[in-house]
Amino acid sequence: MKRQRENAIVFADPERCLGCHGCELACAVAHSGTGLHQAALSGLTLRPRNKVVAAGGVMMPVQCRQCEDAPCAAACPTGAMLQESGQVGVREKNCVGCKVCVMVCPFGAISVKHEGSDPESCRTNGGVARKCDLCAGTGRGLPACVEACPTKALSLVDLEEYRQTLIEARAAELAQSLQHLKSRKARI
Amino acid sequence: MTMKLTTDPSAATLLPIAKKEGVSTVWDRHRAMQPQCGFGQLGVCCRICWKGPCRIDPFGDGPQRGICGADADTIVARNVIRMIAAGAAGHSEHGRHVALALQGVAEGRLPAYQIRDEAKLRAVAAKLDICTEGQDIPAIAAAVAKATLEDFQNQDHDAPCNWIEASLTKKRLERLQALHVLPHNIDAVITQIMGRTLVGCDADPVNLILGGIKGALADFDGMCLATELSDALFGTPSPVITAANLGVIKPDAVNIAVHGHNPLLSEVVCEVAGQMDEEARKAGAKDGINIVGICCTGNEVMVRHGIPLAANYLSQELALITGAVDAMVVDVQCIMPSVSEIGACFHTAVITTMAENKIPGATHVDFKEETALESARRIVATAIDAYKRRDPRRVNIPDFKQTAIVGFGVESVVGALATLNAEDPLQPLIENIANGNIRGIALFAGCNSTQVAQDSSFVTMAKKLAANNVLMLATGCGAGSFAKHGLMTQEATLEYAGDSLKAVLTAIGTSAGLNGPLPLVLHMGSCVDNSRAVQVAVAVADKLGVDLDQLPLVASAPEAMSEKAVAIGTWSVALGIPTHLGTMPQVTGSAKVTELLTQTAKDLLGGYFLVELDPNLAADKLLEVIEERRKGLGI
Ligand code: SF4
Ligand code: SF4
Ligand code: SF4
Repeated sequence: MKRQRENAIVFADPERCLGCHGCELACAVAHSGTGLHQAALSGLTLRPRNKVVAAGGVMMPVQCRQCEDAPCAAACPTGAMLQESGQVGVREKNCVGCKVCVMVCPFGAISVKHEGSDPESCRTNGGVARKCDLCAGTGRGLPACVEACPTKALSLVDLEEYRQTLIEARAAELAQSLQHLKSRKARI
Repeated sequence: MTMKLTTDPSAATLLPIAKKEGVSTVWDRHRAMQPQCGFGQLGVCCRICWKGPCRIDPFGDGPQRGICGADADTIVARNVIRMIAAGAAGHSEHGRHVALALQGVAEGRLPAYQIRDEAKLRAVAAKLDICTEGQDIPAIAAAVAKATLEDFQNQDHDAPCNWIEASLTKKRLERLQALHVLPHNIDAVITQIMGRTLVGCDADPVNLILGGIKGALADFDGMCLATELSDALFGTPSPVITAANLGVIKPDAVNIAVHGHNPLLSEVVCEVAGQMDEEARKAGAKDGINIVGICCTGNEVMVRHGIPLAANYLSQELALITGAVDAMVVDVQCIMPSVSEIGACFHTAVITTMAENKIPGATHVDFKEETALESARRIVATAIDAYKRRDPRRVNIPDFKQTAIVGFGVESVVGALATLNAEDPLQPLIENIANGNIRGIALFAGCNSTQVAQDSSFVTMAKKLAANNVLMLATGCGAGSFAKHGLMTQEATLEYAGDSLKAVLTAIGTSAGLNGPLPLVLHMGSCVDNSRAVQVAVAVADKLGVDLDQLPLVASAPEAMSEKAVAIGTWSVALGIPTHLGTMPQVTGSAKVTELLTQTAKDLLGGYFLVELDPNLAADKLLEVIEERRKGLGI
C-alpha cells in the first residue's frame, strides 16, 4: 500500500513578516536557472510563485498550500496538476494554460502567464501554470523563500514532524501536571 | 552556500581563538547576513523620500515605477551617484584638512607641524603656476594653500578647479570640458549631486551619471591635493624596507596601531611615541613602543617612515584578537565600529580622535592641529597605561610577516629611472613599453570585501599579470595585501615576473642601488595616493603626445567595497582608463546604467568598467585590453 504522508508546506508567520518581498525575489531567481545579476542583465521576465499580500493589518506571503484533495488537480482537464512526490506538482508539458486551476484555487496561488522572450509562433502565448513547487528540482535543501527571509518568518513544515513536536510538547505538559498532582498527594 | 573567508595566513591562527572566546568577526557577521537582499544588490531600492521605500521588480512582473514614478534606471543612477558623492566627500574632507593645516603652518600657528619637503612645496607651487621667485617658504606655503582652498570656494562654473587643471593632459581636459563634467568647486559639485537626486529632481539616467562623473572628478581633485600637500608637510615617500602582516606586533613592546586614513594625527603620534619610549620601558615593555599601521593611515606612515603594516581592511579585527595591541588609534574611514567591542574583550584602548568620527564604547581624545602634541601625548600615555593591564596569557601573535619594499611615489620612480637616464628619466620606461619588455601598466586600488576571500583576487591577478610582463602599481588595501603576501619583495620579482619584466626591474633596481630588482608590485601609498599613478601616466602621455585613453594602462579594484572605490573607479573611467571591478556593483537592476558604464563610456571617455568576478579571467581580460591599446599605438 502507498505510504500516506501529508504534503509539506511553506508556513508563513504574519507576526514576523516585514513585507520586504525578499521571498518573491528569491523565488523568481531560484526558478530562473541563472543568478540574480545575470537574470537582471539579460532582461528575463521572471515570476515568483509566491506573493506578499497585506490585508486587515496583516502582512505575509501567500503561496500554494499543497492541498491533499487539491481542487486544481481535480479540475485540471489535461492532468497537468497532480499529486507527485510529496507536493501538488505541475507537469508543464501537459498544461494548456486553460486557467481552470487558477479559478478553483482558494488561495490564488496559481498564475498562467508567459515568461521570457516573446512567443515564437502566433499559435501560442507560451503560458504555463506556475505555482510553488517547494523548489523541487532546483537542487537546494530548503526552498529559496525560506532561505531568503531575513526575519525567519517562513519555514518549511513537514507535517509529521510538526505534529510529533506538538504531541510531545502537550504530553510533556501533561506529565508535568501529573507529577505535580502526585507530589501534592504524597505531601497530604 | 560556500563561504569565502580569507587567504591571510594569520587568520588561521586567530579565527579559532575568536571562536573559542565568543568574539564575532566580520566574517561571522557576513555569514549571518546571508542571503543578502536582492533588491539592494541590484540597486533598485529607493529610500530617498518618506513615501517610500520603493523597490522595482527587476523581472517585469511587479511594479516598474516607484510611487513618484521613478523607474529602475532613475533609481539606480541616483543611488550610484550618491555613493560617488559620499566617496568624494570623504577624500576631499581629508584634502581640506591637509590644506588648512598647510595654511596654519604658513601662518605659524601650528607648532606640531612644519614643511618637511621644501622642494616638493616648490614643485607644487610651480605646478599650480604660482610665482615663487624671491618668496620664502611660509609665503609659498600660504600661496599654495590659498590656491588649493579655491578649489573649495570658486563660484565660477566655467573655471575648472586648479588642481585638476594642473594634473591632466590637455586633450583630456578638453574632452571633459566638452562633456561639461570638469568640476569647478569640490563642495559645490558634491552638493549638486545631493540636490539633483532629491525627490522630484533629475530623472534622466544619462544626465545623472554625467553629474556623478563630475563628482568623481571632484574626488580626483581632492585626492591630488591631499597627496601632494601631505608630501610637502610630511615628506615625499622614498623606497624603504619594512614588513607586513600581524607578525609585526611585538610581544614585549607597547603596541600602538594607527588606523584610518589621515596622516595629520598619526605623524604626530609617531613622533611623540619616539620621545616617550623610555616611559614605555619603565612600564615594563622592554622593547619600548612599537607603532604598527592598519589600512591607509598605516600605508601613509609605511611609505613615509617604513612603519610596518599589521593589517589591511578585513584583518583589522584580527589585530585586536592577538591580545597584544595596547591602543588602536583611529581617525576617519574604513574603521569597523566593531573594534570598540572587540577591544573591550581585551585590554585594548580604542581611541577615536575626530569630532565627526566617534564610536560607542571607544575613548575619545579630541584632536586639533593647534594642540596636536598634547593629544598625541595623551594617546601614547593611554596606550602605556593599557599595556600594564595586558594579560600575557591571552597574547597570540601569529608568526607571519613578510618583508616589503615600499614607498614608490612619482619622485622615487622617476628618481630610480634617472639612474638609467639622468637627462630624460621617462625615456627608459617608454622604451621598454614600446619594445614590449613591459606590455603595459596596471594600477591595483584598494579595499577588501567579504564578497571575496580576503586578498585572494589581488594575489591571483598580480601573479598572472606579472608573468605576462605587466608593470604593477598598488595603493590602499590592495597594496596592503601585496605587502602581506610577500609580493613587494625582490624575491617575488625573480619568482613571478616574466623574463622581460624581470630584466627591466632588475636593471632599474640595480642601478638605483637596490642590489637587485625592484619589487614585483610598487607600493604608491594610501588610497588617496591613486593620484600618484595618474601623475606617472600623465607624464608618459604628455611625453608621447597622446591622451590617457591611448596608453596600455589599466586599473583594477578586485575586492572593491567602499563608496570611495565607486568614486575612484568612476574617475579612473573618466580619465580614459579601462577599470576592472571584481565585486558586483549595485547597478545591474538598470540595463541603461549598466550599459552606460560598461559600453557608452568607452565612446564618450575612452575608459569603461569591466566587471569580472573570477580573478583569472579578469587578468586575461585586462591583458587583452592592454594588447588592444598597444595595437592602437602601433607598438
Ligand atoms: S521574505 Fe520574509 S519578511 Fe520578507 S516578505 Fe517574505 S515572508 Fe515577509
Ligand atoms: S494551487 Fe491552490 S488548489 Fe492547488 S494545491 Fe495549491 S493551494 Fe491547493
Ligand atoms: S523618491 Fe520616488 S521612488 Fe524613491 S522612495 Fe520616494 S516615491 Fe519611492
